Amino acid sequence: MTNETGRQGANRPALIVGVLLLIAAALVGYDASQQTITSNYGVGPTAVPYVVTAGLVILGLAHFVVAFREGLPEPEEADNKALLWIAGGLAFLIACIALGGGFTIAIAAVFACTARGMGRQAFLVDAIIGFVLGLFIYLVFAKVLTLILPSGPLERLFL
Amino acid sequence: MLTSILKRTALTAVALAALSTAAFAQLNELKIMAPAAPGGGWDGTARSMQQALTAAGIVKSVQVTNVTGAGGTIGLAQLIGAKGAGDQLMVNGFVMVGAILLNKSPVNLTQVTPIARLTAEAEVIVVPADSPLKTAKDLAERLKADPAKVTWAGGSAGGTDHILAALFAQAVGADAKKINYIPFSGGGEALAAMLGGRVTAGVSGYGEFEGQIKAGKLRVLAVSSGKRLENAPDAPTLKEQGIDLELLNWRSVVAPPGLTADQTKALTDTVEKMVKSKEWQEILKARGWDDSFLAGAAFDAFLKAEIERVSKVMTEVGLVK
Amino acid sequence: MDTLLSLLNGFGVALEPSKLVFCLIGVFLGTAVGVLPGIGPALTVALLLPITFKLDPAGSLIMFAGIYYGGMYGGSTTAILLNAPGESASLATALEGSKMAKAGRGGPALATSAIGSFVAGLIATIGLAFLAPWLVEVAVKFGPWDYFALMIVAFVTVSATFGDSPLRGLTSLFIGITLGLVGIDKLTGQARLTFGVPELLNGVEVTTLAVGLFAVGEAFYVASKRFRDPEEIIPIKGSLWMTKQDWKRSWAPWLRGTAFGFPIGALPAGGAEVPTFLSYSTEKKLCKYPDEFGKGAIEGVAGPEAANNASAAGTLVPLLTLGLPTSATAAIMLAGFQQYGLNPGPLLFAEKPDLVWGLIASLFIANVMLVILNLPLIGLWVRLLAVPQPWLYAGILVFSTMGTLAVNGSPVELAQLFLFGFVGYLMRRYDYPVAPMVVGLILGPMAEQQLRRALQISLGDPMILLENPGSATLLGIAFIALVAPFAMKGLNKFKASED
Repeated sequence: MTNETGRQGANRPALIVGVLLLIAAALVGYDASQQTITSNYGVGPTAVPYVVTAGLVILGLAHFVVAFREGLPEPEEADNKALLWIAGGLAFLIACIALGGGFTIAIAAVFACTARGMGRQAFLVDAIIGFVLGLFIYLVFAKVLTLILPSGPLERLFL
Repeated sequence: MLTSILKRTALTAVALAALSTAAFAQLNELKIMAPAAPGGGWDGTARSMQQALTAAGIVKSVQVTNVTGAGGTIGLAQLIGAKGAGDQLMVNGFVMVGAILLNKSPVNLTQVTPIARLTAEAEVIVVPADSPLKTAKDLAERLKADPAKVTWAGGSAGGTDHILAALFAQAVGADAKKINYIPFSGGGEALAAMLGGRVTAGVSGYGEFEGQIKAGKLRVLAVSSGKRLENAPDAPTLKEQGIDLELLNWRSVVAPPGLTADQTKALTDTVEKMVKSKEWQEILKARGWDDSFLAGAAFDAFLKAEIERVSKVMTEVGLVK
Repeated sequence: MDTLLSLLNGFGVALEPSKLVFCLIGVFLGTAVGVLPGIGPALTVALLLPITFKLDPAGSLIMFAGIYYGGMYGGSTTAILLNAPGESASLATALEGSKMAKAGRGGPALATSAIGSFVAGLIATIGLAFLAPWLVEVAVKFGPWDYFALMIVAFVTVSATFGDSPLRGLTSLFIGITLGLVGIDKLTGQARLTFGVPELLNGVEVTTLAVGLFAVGEAFYVASKRFRDPEEIIPIKGSLWMTKQDWKRSWAPWLRGTAFGFPIGALPAGGAEVPTFLSYSTEKKLCKYPDEFGKGAIEGVAGPEAANNASAAGTLVPLLTLGLPTSATAAIMLAGFQQYGLNPGPLLFAEKPDLVWGLIASLFIANVMLVILNLPLIGLWVRLLAVPQPWLYAGILVFSTMGTLAVNGSPVELAQLFLFGFVGYLMRRYDYPVAPMVVGLILGPMAEQQLRRALQISLGDPMILLENPGSATLLGIAFIALVAPFAMKGLNKFKASED
C-alpha cells in the first residue's frame, strides 16, 4: 500500500479527480450564470452555487498538489469481471424498467447477475430464485400495500 | 363497452343505493394516477377515490399508480402519452397549472381531456393575533406603502399561496413584482413563522390554519372564496372588503387525450356517481374537503380561465420570463 | 398533577385487552414494512393508514402509534444489517452499525438500537406528556437565522466522518452539497443543474444517494476484491446479546442522543438528521475507544439511534399542541387524526383529552411492545447474514432497487442509484469517505434555504445572524468547535517543545 507511483511523477487518479472537480465547478458556475430570475430581497438562487464553485475549484487545485506529492492511496487490483457482471445486471434492470419489461424479470436478472459476479456458478438456479423473489415482492406490494411496482406483460396477468 | 354504457344509463335512473355491483358495472377497471409520491395530497385524493369507487361498487377494480416528479408534470406527460385510453384518470389541481409554467414543461393541461373538478379549498390570509393589522384594507395600505416591508409566509414558490399573494397585491394596486414572499416547506413551517411573529402575513389553505385561528392565535384578514366559510362565519371574504379577487385551491381529475365522446361520458358518469355516493361524502367529511363538483363544458371553461389567469400573474410577478 | 392524572386515564384507555392487540398488530406491521429499505416511516404510515380506518378512533390511534414507532425501528434494522439506510435519519446508525454486523456483533448492535430506541422513546414521550406546552413556546421562537446557525453547527461536526484525510472528506462533502443544488430552487422556483431533464427537477433523493453509495457501492467493492481479499462476514461472534461492557458503553450515548433528539425534533424545522449527526460526532469525541470508530463502535449506534427515536417523539410536540406537521410522517399522521374529526392544535388537549392521552399512553405501550417483539427477532435477523455471500449481496441489490422503485419508479431514478453505486465503489477504492457526501446533500439545501429566508426577512442585512442571541450563540459554538482542535494541537506542540 505504499505510493511508489507518486515518486515517478504525477499520481494519475488524483489528477483525474482534480480535473473532474474543475469540470464540476465549471458546470455549476455556468449554470448559475444562466439563471434569469433572481430574488427581490436577500440573496438569490445563484449565491450558493457560486460559493460551491469556488469550493470545488480550491479542492480541484488541491488534488493537483496532492498528485505531485503523496498521491491517492494505491488501490488493490480489482476483479473487473465481477464488476461487469453486477453492472450488467443493473444495466439490464434499467433497460427492462424503461422498456416496460416489468419488475419481476428485471429483479431476476439483477439477482442472478450479482450472484454470478460474487462467484456463484449456477446462473439458471439463481435466475429462478430471483424470479420467484421478484414476483413475491411485486404481489406483496400490489395486494397488501396497494403500491404498484413497474409492470410488464407478466405482472398484468396477476392484477 | 358500448352495451355496458347503455346498460348503465338505463340503470342510473333506478337508484344509487342498493343495487348489486354487477348491475352497475360499466367500467370494470380503472387506473387512477397520482402524479406525486405516495402520501401527498394528490395521492390522498387518488386513494380516497379508489376507496369510494370500490366500496360503493361503482368500479370493480381500481388501481392507484404514483408517478413522481416535477410538480406532477412527469405524470402529465405520461397521461398525454396514453392517448385514447378510456380507463385512466389522473388527479391534478390548481398547483399543477403553476408548476407547468415554472418548470417550462413541454406538455400542458390543454392537451388532456378534462373530466371533473372534485374538491376545493378556500385560502386564508392571516396575521398573528398581536399584529396591528385588522382588515385586508390595512394590509393593502401597508403593501402599497412599501411592499418590501410586508413579508408573506406561505407554501412553495409558484404555488397557490404565492399566486394569491401576488393577485392580492395586483388587486389592491400595489407592485406585485416587489412582493416579499417567503416560501416555506410545508404549511407547518410557515405556521411556525407566523406564530413566532417573524413575518407580516401568512397565506395558506383554511384547514392548515384552522386550529390556530380557533384558538385565537391567528387573525383572519380575509378568505379567498366567493362566500363566507361555513365553519368560519366571522371571517370576511376579500370581495366584501372591496377587493375584487376570488381564488380556490381546487383538485380535479383529467383523462388522456383522444377519447371518444362515449369514453369521456363513461368516465364523467363514473366520477359523478362516485361524488354522489355516501362513501365519498363520508370521506369528504372526514378529511375536511369541500365538495365542489363541476363537470362537462362548465369544467372545461373553468380550467381554461384558470390557466389564463395563472400564466398572466406568474409572468407579471416575474416567476416566468 | 393534572397531567399525571390524565396520563393515568390514558393508560386506562390503552390497556384494554382489545387495544393491546391493536397496538401489537400495529407494531408488527410497522416493523415489517419499515424494514424494507427505501420505505421510511412516512411511507409506512401512509401505506398502513387505511388499515386503521376500519377501527374505532381510540383503537385506530393506538394502532397508529404502534405503526409509527414500529416503522421508525424497522428502518434501523436494514441500516445495520444490510448497510442500506431506508431513510436519512438512520444514516448515522448505518455507519458503525453495519461494521458491527459484519464483525459478528450484529446482535449487540440491534440490541443497543432496540433498547436505545426504547429508552429514548420513553424519556421523550415523558417529555411530550409533561413539557410539550412549554417546549413549543420556545420552538416557535426559532427563526430562520437560528436554523441556519444550527445547520452550521451540524456542518462543523461532519468532520467526524472524514476519516484520515481532510482533503478527501471535504471533497466528498462538497460533491454532496453540489448534488443538493440540483432541482427546483425552493425560494424562486428556478431549475438549477437539471440540464433539461424533467426527472431532475425534484432534486436528488437522499435515500437514492445513500442506498447507492452505501449498499450498491459496497456490493461492487466486495465483488471487486473477492479473490485477493475476500470479505469475511461473521454472523455471530461472541455473545448475541449485549455484554456487560456493551451496556456500560451504551447507556450514556442513549441519554445524550435523547438530549439531542427530543428538543431538535420538537423544532418546526429541526428534523431527525441534525440530531443524529450531532450525536454521532459527540460520541466519537467522547468515546474511550476512538480507534474503534470506523470499525464498529457500539457508541456510534447507541447514540444516533436514540437521537432518531427521541426526535420522532419530538415532532409530536408541535403536532399535538399546535397542529403543526413538521415532517412528512407528521403530515400523514395529521391526515390520520382528521379522519376522526380530530384537529390537532391548541384546543385538542381540552376537547378530546381521552384520545390524546390514550395516544400518548399507547406510545409508551408501543415502545414496550417494540422491545418485546424485537429482542427475540434479533437472533433471526442476524442469521440473515449467514446466507451465502453471493445471495446476500444479490438480495441487498434486489431490496435496494425495490425501495427506489416503490417511491419513484422512473428509469432516471434507477440510473442515479446505479451511478451513485459506482461512485461509491470508486470512493471506497481510493479511500474517500462516503458519509460526508450524503450529509452535504441533506444539510446543504437546508442551510441555504434558511439563510436566504433570514436575509429575505432582514432585507439583505447579514447582521441579523449575529443580532439574534440564539443564532449568535450557535455560531459561537460552531466557531469554537472548528477552532478548538487546532488550538489544542498547537497547545500540545507548545507543551511538547517545552519539555
